[in-house]
Amino acid sequence: MLSFIGRSVVQKIITLFFVSIVSFLIIHIAPGKPSQVDPMNPKFTPEVVERFRKEFHLDKPLHVQYLYFYKDLFTGETVSWKDNQSVLKKIWERFLNSLPLFIVGTIITWTLSFPIGIRSAIFRGQFYDRSATFLSYLLISIPGFFFAYVLIIFVVNQFHVPVIGMETFGIGDGASLPHIFMDRIWHLLLPSVLGATGGIAVLSRYVRSQMLEVEGQDYIRTARAKGLSPEQVHYRHALRNALLPFVTMFGLILPGLIGGSVIIESIFSWPGMGRMAYEAILARDYPVILTVNFVSAILVLAGTFISDLLYLIVDPRIRL
Amino acid sequence: MNIDEKGFNQDFQFEAPMAPKRTRLQEFWLLFRQNRLAILGLFIFILFFCCAIMGLFITSGPDPLFDPAMIRLQEKLRPPLAKPNLDSLRREEIPCLGFYLMGTDDLGRDVFARMLQGAWVSLTVGFVAVGISVLIGIFMGGVAGYFGQHHIRVDHILMTILLISGAGLVMAHSIRFGAVLLCLTLAYIFYSFFTQNRSGEKSVPSWAKVFRKSAVSVDTLIMRIVDIMLCFPSFFLILTVVALLPASIYNIMIVIGLTSWMGTTRFVRAEFLSLREQDFVAAVKTLGASNFRIIFRHMMPNAIAPVLVSATIGIATAILTEAGLSFLGFGVPPPHATWGNILSDGKNFIFDAPWLTFIPGIAILIVVLSFNLFGEGLRDVLNPKLRERH
Repeated sequence: MLSFIGRSVVQKIITLFFVSIVSFLIIHIAPGKPSQVDPMNPKFTPEVVERFRKEFHLDKPLHVQYLYFYKDLFTGETVSWKDNQSVLKKIWERFLNSLPLFIVGTIITWTLSFPIGIRSAIFRGQFYDRSATFLSYLLISIPGFFFAYVLIIFVVNQFHVPVIGMETFGIGDGASLPHIFMDRIWHLLLPSVLGATGGIAVLSRYVRSQMLEVEGQDYIRTARAKGLSPEQVHYRHALRNALLPFVTMFGLILPGLIGGSVIIESIFSWPGMGRMAYEAILARDYPVILTVNFVSAILVLAGTFISDLLYLIVDPRIRL
Repeated sequence: MNIDEKGFNQDFQFEAPMAPKRTRLQEFWLLFRQNRLAILGLFIFILFFCCAIMGLFITSGPDPLFDPAMIRLQEKLRPPLAKPNLDSLRREEIPCLGFYLMGTDDLGRDVFARMLQGAWVSLTVGFVAVGISVLIGIFMGGVAGYFGQHHIRVDHILMTILLISGAGLVMAHSIRFGAVLLCLTLAYIFYSFFTQNRSGEKSVPSWAKVFRKSAVSVDTLIMRIVDIMLCFPSFFLILTVVALLPASIYNIMIVIGLTSWMGTTRFVRAEFLSLREQDFVAAVKTLGASNFRIIFRHMMPNAIAPVLVSATIGIATAILTEAGLSFLGFGVPPPHATWGNILSDGKNFIFDAPWLTFIPGIAILIVVLSFNLFGEGLRDVLNPKLRERH
């Protein structure tokens, strides 16, 4: 166990190192310079560009820039090129904005997809199963931005509530507390439902197939043969074994924290991580792009590590 | 005994040679036909394919039948099936159907013509991107699965690092240092080829033996590369690269292709690892077939099924990704229509002209859905484990 942990930590650190190199190279070798973002701006004289390049070490060779960047990152001194603020602080603020979206989306995904998947496994081939299958294909295939507009039109026309942004503009002064609370809920609901659609579709299909696999096992037949009620067979005998792989998925949802939803956050003007990354890309704000990339790589690696670990703990048949 | 056996055969009417009655394709089709959703998917896919190809011909050229770029400012935001106002239009501006099948947009351009033009973009993006990713995936997965046990020596790794850093330095304008590195590496490569041909193990001095040690196996190396690629959040990576590169449809295809080959690599590697140990491969090997022939003639047809499935679903994902990029304003430069940018232009008029949002949105939905249904149908048929037992 300890040797497994040690080995995988070392492996992940090596992977992270290469990720840092690759992302750095991708951004710096691509054509176009950050100092050329706004050539029409009269304040962008050659002297200013030169000072800018010097200030951010852009005149140094690539490997020196690489060292500078990651030294700054690890000491927490990286600053955005756009507004000279600390990148880590910026990311943290945006992260706190994205967090409720992520949490609500995850709760919706997990609470809906399990009942749907289990039910369609139990009623395999019947009307419920077939319509659930078709619906989940529909949800996978629908482009998120289109679905977002359909939902916005529907909600705004039916319920007459504003949904764009994190809260209604200027609601803070003079409104009662429950009013503010409901306002936040309405604003939160649509983007999190949109973030959850794909997840519901995929996860419920996965639950279904897992459930079907377990239902085909011999011990389920034994349970039926000894006269247990269908509820007991499905929920006590089958479900518990089918749940095993999903424990590991707790680790795998971690990267969703960051890579989430560039498109959805920009439609709803939600000041989250995805939108910040999108703005950084538009402004060629390399430190922000690279830091977001680095953090998300850490999250992916940590996620796989946690899921491996959970699998080890949950499933006694696996011993490394 | 012999007679007994004959009688037995006659009683039960075995047919003498037990070759399968149906070819593999017929068998496949029989199974596939039972899945109604998959048939629907295939049908829509063929329809879409025809539309896209037809659309390419009738919307391009010097004098197209439907001109997607024709601007009629006096006819803007006409609803679908609206008749054009013939008095205000010049002769060549009158739409060739006599009415606007899908309405016009905010510049009075015919949405139907633009949708036809966009269909071709979606189709090519899907196929080219998936083609690239499948080619890379098969190559990497095949190498990892088939030659995985071969080891890479320390000097190979060192040389590759030097080569890459040399090239990087040259690109980063420190040409002198980079060129020196490149020359060194090339010299070493020639040297090692030379010594290898003379099979001169004895000429290596003892201190240099360290460099001849084997470091990692090919399999480990490729799988680590896959791990590294999987660390990038894919849509964000695509967005970054597309935003940095000059806007063009080909860049999008290539970038989507280059960032989505990891799944295929894993499938192909897993299949190859199990196929390599099978008897028919050993038999072909003893017959003296070349590695190339073994891989492409004997192993690949057996490993292609999961690749085909993931490619079909990959096309759907690629179309969605392209639409998302166009929606965000990256990708295909403006005068050219894609479904994503028709929708993103149309969203500003969502209450006045809902068709500008709904027509491209539903078109994307239907096409992507058809690919997904077709792919899942393929998976059910090609994977005997998932077949329902009757």
